Amino acid sequence: MALRFEELIERHHDEIFAYLWRLMGNDGRRDAATDVEDLTQNVFLRAYDSFAGLRPNSNHRAWLYKIATHCAYTQLRRMKHRRDKLSSLKHSPTEPAMASDDSSSRKYIERRVRTLVNVLPVKQKACFALRYLQDLDYPEIAQILGCSQESARANVYQAIRHLRLALEEEK
Amino acid sequence: MTTQKPKNEVAVVKSLRTVLRGPTKTALLYSRARVRKWFAEEATLIQWGEMSSPLGRLFAAVNERGLCALEFGRQESEFLQRFDNRTRLKKDPKAVERVLAQLREYFAGDRSNFNLPVDISQLTPFQRSVLDVACRIAPGQVWTYQRIAEELGRPRASRPVGGALAHNPIPIVIPCHRVVASDGSLGGYSGGSGLKAKRWLLRLEGAL
Repeated sequence: MALRFEELIERHHDEIFAYLWRLMGNDGRRDAATDVEDLTQNVFLRAYDSFAGLRPNSNHRAWLYKIATHCAYTQLRRMKHRRDKLSSLKHSPTEPAMASDDSSSRKYIERRVRTLVNVLPVKQKACFALRYLQDLDYPEIAQILGCSQESARANVYQAIRHLRLALEEEK
Repeated sequence: MTTQKPKNEVAVVKSLRTVLRGPTKTALLYSRARVRKWFAEEATLIQWGEMSSPLGRLFAAVNERGLCALEFGRQESEFLQRFDNRTRLKKDPKAVERVLAQLREYFAGDRSNFNLPVDISQLTPFQRSVLDVACRIAPGQVWTYQRIAEELGRPRASRPVGGALAHNPIPIVIPCHRVVASDGSLGGYSGGSGLKAKRWLLRLEGAL
């Protein structure tokens, strides 16, 4: 029997929400969580609109991830645009300088890593999140992002390399 | 720019997995509840139930407008497959109690007409007009496809009339079995076991 939309929600809501949570660089604040909720609802709304035209033997999971990635890209681009506008007005770094009293704190490092992840190119960020946080394999990632498996691998490699170098520089 | 191969890739991934941990349980619950609520408000609710009948297992479904589907002599999965994948399907015998009660009376020979709201809005205007005419055929009588076409003011449309009757989503209640061919044969029937079921229904009503 063909998959019904309500089953799609029950099966995939949690992983799509988690994916968007990570992709949007959520730090657990309530307002940030609401943003991801809005985004998740938007993903299912778009999916609902085009669900009838989907072939029964399609990979529904990959299709849903594709919509989620597209929605997140749009949102991230909007956020980047807003950030660029703000920083051109302020001319000040978005991340406060490391305070001496919490220089060794885990919270600071976590915040720093999150900031580094957030400034990764969106495709690298999506590839990394899909591979290592959502545990998808490369054929699926390629299908979701509409690229080759080699390109997906290269993006994951570049993301890790960027982050590793940035973290090493800070040591 | 260095081209050095990462030595501590595993360590980087491990630390990132820790930092970029997934959502909290509360956040997940909130979001899931919100999506479910939206879907419940957006999607059409279809409640269905079943009974055994002389023509085999019989399934009936209602939506907010009325009876929207009836099928017999089929499997449950075949019946449920006919609904749009975006609707909300709920097995709810209470919701179809009135429909099944009238059908039981019909099969027992205690009822000849049905008093139920029906929904055939998913059909084309032509299909709807054909089924409207079919509802005017009294129990115990049969009309020909030709006569229905004439009633519609389209005397050459007896074949499309047959096609429209084949799309009847609510057989028995909308009595498409009361329409036969001009040469005296039974014509066609897509419900249950086909012509065997049509003959059985017409005999029950005393038309054969």
